[in-house]
Amino acid sequence: MERERNPDGMSRRDFLKLSASVGVGLAVGASGLAAIEKLAAPRARSAVGEPDAGNGTASEAIPLYGEHQPGIITPQQTYMYLASFRITAADRAVVIRLFRDWTKFADLSSAGGTMRTGDNPLLPPSDTGETLDLPASRLTVTFGFGPTFFRRQDGKDRYGVAGQLPRYLQDIPRMPRDQLDPLLSGGDVCVQVCAEDQQVAFHAVRNFIRLSTGTASVNWLQEGFISGGSGGQTPRNLFGFKDGTANALHQTPEGYRDVVWAGSDEPAWLQGGTYMAYRKVRMMLEVWDRSSLTDQEDTFGRHKESGAAYGKNGEFDPADPSAMPTGAHVRLAKESKQLIHRRGYSYTDGIDPRTGNINAGLLFVSFQRNPEEQFLPMLKLMQSRDALNEYAVHVASGMFACPRGLAPGEYIGQNILEA
Amino acid sequence: MKSYVKWASPLLAAALVLGACGKSGEDQQATTTPTQQASGTLANADTGALSPIQESTVKLQEETKLLQEAIEKQDAEAVKRLGKSINDAWLAYENSVRQTFPLEYTEVEKYEMPIFSASAYDKVDFAALKVTAEKLQGALTALLNAKESTGNASELLTKAVANYKVYVVEQAEQLASQTKVFAEAVKAGDAEKAKLEYPKARVFFENIEPIAESFGDLDPRIDARLADVEDESEWSGFHIIEKALWMDNTLEGMDAYADQLVKDTEELRDKIKTVELAPDMMVAGAMELLNEAAISKITGEEEIYSHTDLVDFAANVDGSKQVYLAIIPALNEKNPDLADSLDKQFLAIEQTLAGHRTNDQYISYDKLTTDQIRTISDQISQLSNLMSQTASIL
Repeated sequence: MERERNPDGMSRRDFLKLSASVGVGLAVGASGLAAIEKLAAPRARSAVGEPDAGNGTASEAIPLYGEHQPGIITPQQTYMYLASFRITAADRAVVIRLFRDWTKFADLSSAGGTMRTGDNPLLPPSDTGETLDLPASRLTVTFGFGPTFFRRQDGKDRYGVAGQLPRYLQDIPRMPRDQLDPLLSGGDVCVQVCAEDQQVAFHAVRNFIRLSTGTASVNWLQEGFISGGSGGQTPRNLFGFKDGTANALHQTPEGYRDVVWAGSDEPAWLQGGTYMAYRKVRMMLEVWDRSSLTDQEDTFGRHKESGAAYGKNGEFDPADPSAMPTGAHVRLAKESKQLIHRRGYSYTDGIDPRTGNINAGLLFVSFQRNPEEQFLPMLKLMQSRDALNEYAVHVASGMFACPRGLAPGEYIGQNILEA
Repeated sequence: MKSYVKWASPLLAAALVLGACGKSGEDQQATTTPTQQASGTLANADTGALSPIQESTVKLQEETKLLQEAIEKQDAEAVKRLGKSINDAWLAYENSVRQTFPLEYTEVEKYEMPIFSASAYDKVDFAALKVTAEKLQGALTALLNAKESTGNASELLTKAVANYKVYVVEQAEQLASQTKVFAEAVKAGDAEKAKLEYPKARVFFENIEPIAESFGDLDPRIDARLADVEDESEWSGFHIIEKALWMDNTLEGMDAYADQLVKDTEELRDKIKTVELAPDMMVAGAMELLNEAAISKITGEEEIYSHTDLVDFAANVDGSKQVYLAIIPALNEKNPDLADSLDKQFLAIEQTLAGHRTNDQYISYDKLTTDQIRTISDQISQLSNLMSQTASIL
């Protein structure tokens, strides 16, 4: 037993000890869920790969703890769930208990573990059980805090954290052509769960929701998928174009520092963290599919198959905006002269029963250290002039500040609530 | 928020006790926690001094006396004011009562809650309140003279089942008699009266629905919705008359259904008298009630024509609460924290529901906003979560 190693190098006994100390606040009666500390052995025991190396197996475990939160510069997994919560508890201690439970469960599911099931057959099992036979599957959990966590729309600072509001945290201002659904936008807290296995990802997000009962209310839940093929190619969106080619421009420690990680001008809890911008963009697949290849390529300013910019041969050849039609998506992105780290997913959601058209599109997610400088001007430019607007409409929005990485024993939001 | 009052109750309790005795040992009293208080609740037999619980109970009896006088004088304003102050006084020490005298606690809670609820309604039903206030006095007297209960776990559960059985039988009797009133209005062709009586009868069914479900086809005969039946010609019971009243606007052909409904509810009443309840059935029934509320009531599917879903919802919650009240002694033994949490959560949802009443009845379900439904749904989820843990006492 002692020699059984967790993926993050702890023995199972250490793991239990840690969980117990993190979880003292979890009263069985209060949360309604039997204690998470009664955890079963993690399933996957493969060695941890360097999370950012991008060469790990699809079943490996990615540790929750580290300098930065996982799921930000982690090579993109195939499936994503994004859940937004409104905290309903007025009592700060209750919120802390939820964040402790969440952290503990995030750690557990990242390691491929489950809560124990069935100690007392008369009680509901602690874990929902659908991952009992499944490995960790590169699951990551990324937490972010929305502006309303610090100060509610009515101005109320519920948890005494208004002083910790990050410099640039605000809802994304209204943009031209916005058709936002407020019920699908914003939130006090968001949880992004990514994994190579959809069932593993769903299991986690489902149990995050379950643990929040009585403390938080889930606002909205989105699910996405993306696939770049086995050779690590840039994945394509549902219009068939490569999406995120420009990420290659900053994928070095220095590049991430300049583009992604918040610096010393931010509250301590956010230094080493980042801002997540979220837009749900509905894409008119039927109209797009009836457009000529020339129209499609002119819209992006890149060639569809190769991904090369107009006037270039390779996907990663530096793009020349002047060679593209005005209004081309990539041209506008280059004109804004800003870099962001894109990590979007495609979504589908049945059909529109009135038209028979497919409800589908992009869950745009980008990470950046300063949304005001990097993201908002780019978004404004795009929504005003992007040729893509003919085929796409923004239907939901959100901005969240993702704290720096967690140290073992620390819970998410601790450095905000106890700052 | 109400829960704040609850959290503050230990302090308030201490303050009240001080107010009542007003002399020595103030420091000591003020720092007493409810649990410590509970251990010192019995009157000192040698000196004849009252325990803190007794002090508070005496005070509550005085308040109740004032309430009874106000009821006699038909003074609605005073009744409402006293309803609130009685509730405050009770909340201030109910935790220690629950821990020490669970059986007596249940009795007080049963009559105190309707008095408090009445204070929030715009019309006061003096006749009904008079009976309730008398019963509250009786329950308080019993509490004043209570002795600390001792008993092992299985005795506690047997007692819990016996208490719950009394409730179930009572509800079944009221269901039969109230259904008769409803049926008579239907047969007299008095649609307005029938519409008023319909939810009143439904309450008693929804309070004990899982028990009714244990008698084969009696439950579908009484309570099937159109969506539940295979063949529309087999449809009978409350909901076919509901459709006639609110949708078809004619009671033609309903006499036979009304007669059958009376017969069926009487059969249910007689069968329930002889039913053998087991603790696990009782606890499972409480969960079923909450699941019912969370699945068919919260969606407005139960009462699609009359939109009286909130009546059913509240009745499901109340029926489930009766199980909770019955098992408090067992919870105190095995999981007192769970009892605290359940107490708080029942209160929270009762408060929310009380906010949706006007003119002495629940508002039509289709008048609720999405946000309001969501609040109720979140609260019922948390309540169900907690209730699902009560099986730990078995």
